[in-house]
Amino acid sequence: MNLLIKNIAIITALCFCLPATALEQDDHENHATHDMHQHHDHDHHASDTGHGAHDGHQATGGPVLTRTEDIESALAEGGEPIVADVLGVVCDFCALAMTKIFSKREEVAAIYVDLDTKALNLVLAPGASMSDQTIADLAVQAGYRIAEVRRGDAALGSAS
Amino acid sequence: MTALRAALLLTLGCLTSIATLARPVSYAGGWTVIGESDRQSSSALVHYTPSPNMSLGFKTEVNRDSDFAIYSVHPTFLAKRWFGADYQGNLYFHGGIGIATGINDKPESNQMAIYGGVMADWETRSLFVGYRNRYLDAGHHANQFMQAFRAGFAPYEGDSGDLHTWLMLEIDHRPSDPDSVTATPLVRFFKGPLLVEAGYNLTVNQPLFNFTYRF
Repeated sequence: MNLLIKNIAIITALCFCLPATALEQDDHENHATHDMHQHHDHDHHASDTGHGAHDGHQATGGPVLTRTEDIESALAEGGEPIVADVLGVVCDFCALAMTKIFSKREEVAAIYVDLDTKALNLVLAPGASMSDQTIADLAVQAGYRIAEVRRGDAALGSAS
Repeated sequence: MTALRAALLLTLGCLTSIATLARPVSYAGGWTVIGESDRQSSSALVHYTPSPNMSLGFKTEVNRDSDFAIYSVHPTFLAKRWFGADYQGNLYFHGGIGIATGINDKPESNQMAIYGGVMADWETRSLFVGYRNRYLDAGHHANQFMQAFRAGFAPYEGDSGDLHTWLMLEIDHRPSDPDSVTATPLVRFFKGPLLVEAGYNLTVNQPLFNFTYRF
């Protein structure tokens, strides 16, 4: 019993130390953060990548916006399209978590998490804005990481 | 022979790491209901996730073999999550503290119950391996260790909102049981906020049924 209590005390102490850094330690994440801050470069260099690229991807720069009914409708109202590549999104619970967290935001008019392209697809409400940092922070609340964010024409696959 | 089987399981565990229900910690602000029933016990856990690194819940567990029930506070901590474009790996610590009491013909005799363990999993959209263990001290009701390994695959990759299907095999090891090592093939269905698992323990002829609902 004493040994058990000692072990649980050690595990508990570790738990309180580890969670703060639990989602911050992976090499991929460091790489992801770097990628996210470099996204404007990607945007400016995306080219020759019109709609209908194979598998929802541009020839360069990652997947383009997945067009669901809600997404099309929000686009028609003039909202800004955003596509964010998500690390670790492999199941419906992942998609549900992202959807729940982002749907609470007034800025978000439509959302779809595409497991095939591993991308978070957003269309903002007309006139609304959402920074890359806010998107990254909300993804953390859902338990995931953003690798890269594309906006506007780059998100639509029509950048030139 | 039993020792050999246990050693084999432990070795496999070290090599692959093993299984649990999907995502015992939810998104910040999320609630989850988990029901599990295996060859030994049935349980229900309701938990709330205040941050993406931990959940806190209340668990009721009925041990049918030894005729006792546990009512406990049950925290789970996400110690580490590994991310990749195509995979996710997780390491969790889970535990609980509460009261164990006799049920059925066993006299009520409240004892402190305390338990703890580790869960780990790694998955892609089509492959899954996981491991979990738990040590339970419930006074004179029980003093048990268990561990389980699970591996599975998805015959197809469903997209968001589709019905996801997994075929899995769970091997569990309970040293205090006469049948210490058993095998349970199972099928997992996953759609939106609901995950359901149904299987059959081939060694002791007992069904397995689990579900998770997230909201």
